[in-house]
Amino acid sequence: MTSPAPALELRAVTKRYGAVTALDGIDLVLPRHGVLGLVGENGAGKSTLISVINGTARPTEGQLLVNGRVVSLGSPAEAAHAGIATVFQEQGLVANLRVYENMLLGRERQFSWAGILGATAMRQFAREVLDELGIAIDPLAVTGNLNFGERQLVEIAKAFALGHLYPVEPIVLLDEPTSALSDRETEILFDSIRRWRGKASIILVSHRLADVFAVCDAVTTLKDGRVSGHWPIGDATPDLLHEAIVGRPRSAGYYKEHDQRETLGDVVLELADVDVPGQLRSVSLSVRAGEIVGVAGVLGSGKTALGHVITGALRPSGGEIRVHGRRLRPGSRAAALAADIGSVPAERNLAGVIGMHSVQSNLVLPSIRSFRAPRLPILSGRRQAATTDRWIERLRVKTAGRSQQIRNLSGGNAQKVVFAKWLARGVRVFVLDDPGRGLDVGAKEEIYTLLRSLAKEGVAIVLISDNLPEIIGLSNRVVTFRAGAISAEIPAHAHDKPSETSVVTNMV
Amino acid sequence: MSQTVPHTASGTMNLRSFFARHGVSLYPLLVILALIAFFGVQNPYFATFDNAVNIGRQSSVLLLVSLAGTMVIMIGSIDLSVGSIVTLAGIVTALAIDPFGPGVAIAAGVGVGVAVGLVNGLTLIALKVPSFLVTLGMLSVLSGIANMICGGSSIMFIDQSLTELVNSEFVPGIPNIILIALVTAAVLTFIAFKTVLGRYLYAIGGGEVVAANTGVPVNRYKVYAFMLSGGLCGLAGVLLTAQVGAGTPAAGANMLLDSIAAIVMGGTALSGGIGGPQRTILGVLVIAILSNGMDVTEVSSFTQEVVKGLVIILAVASTIDRKKYLFIK
Repeated sequence: MTSPAPALELRAVTKRYGAVTALDGIDLVLPRHGVLGLVGENGAGKSTLISVINGTARPTEGQLLVNGRVVSLGSPAEAAHAGIATVFQEQGLVANLRVYENMLLGRERQFSWAGILGATAMRQFAREVLDELGIAIDPLAVTGNLNFGERQLVEIAKAFALGHLYPVEPIVLLDEPTSALSDRETEILFDSIRRWRGKASIILVSHRLADVFAVCDAVTTLKDGRVSGHWPIGDATPDLLHEAIVGRPRSAGYYKEHDQRETLGDVVLELADVDVPGQLRSVSLSVRAGEIVGVAGVLGSGKTALGHVITGALRPSGGEIRVHGRRLRPGSRAAALAADIGSVPAERNLAGVIGMHSVQSNLVLPSIRSFRAPRLPILSGRRQAATTDRWIERLRVKTAGRSQQIRNLSGGNAQKVVFAKWLARGVRVFVLDDPGRGLDVGAKEEIYTLLRSLAKEGVAIVLISDNLPEIIGLSNRVVTFRAGAISAEIPAHAHDKPSETSVVTNMV
Repeated sequence: MSQTVPHTASGTMNLRSFFARHGVSLYPLLVILALIAFFGVQNPYFATFDNAVNIGRQSSVLLLVSLAGTMVIMIGSIDLSVGSIVTLAGIVTALAIDPFGPGVAIAAGVGVGVAVGLVNGLTLIALKVPSFLVTLGMLSVLSGIANMICGGSSIMFIDQSLTELVNSEFVPGIPNIILIALVTAAVLTFIAFKTVLGRYLYAIGGGEVVAANTGVPVNRYKVYAFMLSGGLCGLAGVLLTAQVGAGTPAAGANMLLDSIAAIVMGGTALSGGIGGPQRTILGVLVIAILSNGMDVTEVSSFTQEVVKGLVIILAVASTIDRKKYLFIK
């Protein structure tokens, strides 16, 4: 028997948008029944590559082969006929429909007669697909009632359902499937993927190298629109991948431990016996100038509430918060702002930036009053522009300009603008909730460098995160929360970092 | 408002980028030019200075009401009570002018509008009723009050000073009512782009949570937007009463739909955060030119309604820069 043609092959695929080359001569092979990891920084071309494969965009040059035959995909529908299904990060399910309705959305024609749906047949079909995949979800369940991980599985089942309707084996593109999943949900997903080998060929796009090592049998890295490396999984190492993704070797101290400040300034932020019914119990904490205090805890432990109390989004029922010894009016964002407390929220697109507005509008928002002309209610456009340009340059924000809509920026660059909007105003206390969320390794590293230089300037930083290595690596001190109270304070000197285990022990 | 910042170093300057830079979409202008050309060919009188002044006179009040609506739509809310504020303010003005004089009458008309806006805003933030419902209820309440006050018939007045003020020409050839409307539009555009108030309104419309996290007093500024809207409608009511020479219980009846059409056609998104007063001016012009053009070419009023509706749908479909809208609902 001759070796079977690969499920999917890209030959010298180039995609240009005007003068911008998003993909530059990509060669890629997805063997039949293979699981290929595709990794790269934001802006490396992963999204464009996905849209070329799933028919959303046509390549400018080059060929796409499915099962050894050259295809030209003009739309996602044509891609679906060829068996290609994409599972997006932003889920493509309709919440108020039932699971089986979602799985067959757009394919009802094959289950209907004269416009009347054969609901029984649809349910039966959906149940068979779910059973075959070993997914224990009721096809009659209302999709909106499922949790995120379950919805992700439904989305994948939808992709397989297509494969059953057309006489082709599915090629499934998973775009960042784990970014919003808990560890347990991720494990369930990976178990499923392993079981589906032999039924489908899969491309897994991910930020997390751990995902790739867990489930893929080969990995391809993208850098600046080109393939920068390809390895069978046995030959790949985190350092090799890191270098291929970023374009330079991983620096020794990823968390810039050598820049960690060991001599700290005066106490800047003080919490004394702060209570929030059901969320925080008698929390006392002080943070010095130049100190980074890492806050760890499981969901609902009070770590998020701590951030909200400091920024005035949540009103404590008792206790005191002081900044430089001055008592802060509780539960007032305005008071927090007046005390120069800045915050980087976890949900960047919901709470951090206004996507449809420009980089400049976002950046100057917290400090807008400082751009007023003396004694006149008129804002100076020139000064706003100058300030914006200065911060774009200082933080090396990659943007077409200050009037670019911020939603066109990559996650890392948008996050830099969130930092800049507070830095432009001047902060003495900075509350960061998961500042590295959704950022690639390169962008994270830049954010870490920024944190170190802020600490050097004497800002007191409260770093809340789920990412333990990040918390331990960056912080001078790790505070763990359990059931609304501080369960431990663990020193984390640059040369004497605590182990993850010692932190986790105090979280559960 | 991403495109409102002029670049300091401008390279090649074409017309489209010039407009884009100033936050004005080119397409409503094209619609306007097409309408002018069409009606101009039909009836030579249409494209005369006299008729242009006519159009201005007919659309000044609508411009004020549309600007009012714009300020609220900018924050992602909606004010359905605009037309009924015009009616009530107009009647109050007509009642006040003979006993108290034109100054008090103006203040009373505008004051009624601001007060209604305050009530709208406070109801919205205190009771957390969506603006759509608050102002829908207010629409009914105000129409009722207006009719109760005037008993369903027009209120005439003797003092003609206000009427003279509105119709006289500070700039020769142009009635003052047009001037007042245009100056108001200019002031609001200035507020939108050059003041903290404007910036906060855009921020609230674009992302309420982001604005709140950034320390913008969101609730207070929402109330300001409704007060601004109410005040502008009050002014519109004053001018309308002066222009017509009477306060009538149906004065603002048709203004709600025309103004929303004008706002959206101009390019302010109903979801908020995008657009602004400068765009609404063009939207109002489209509607005004269309109405006047059909009058001049003697189209029957029933046909006019049909054509107007269709043109509004077509114009909105072709003028919206869809890339900027997340949802079309």
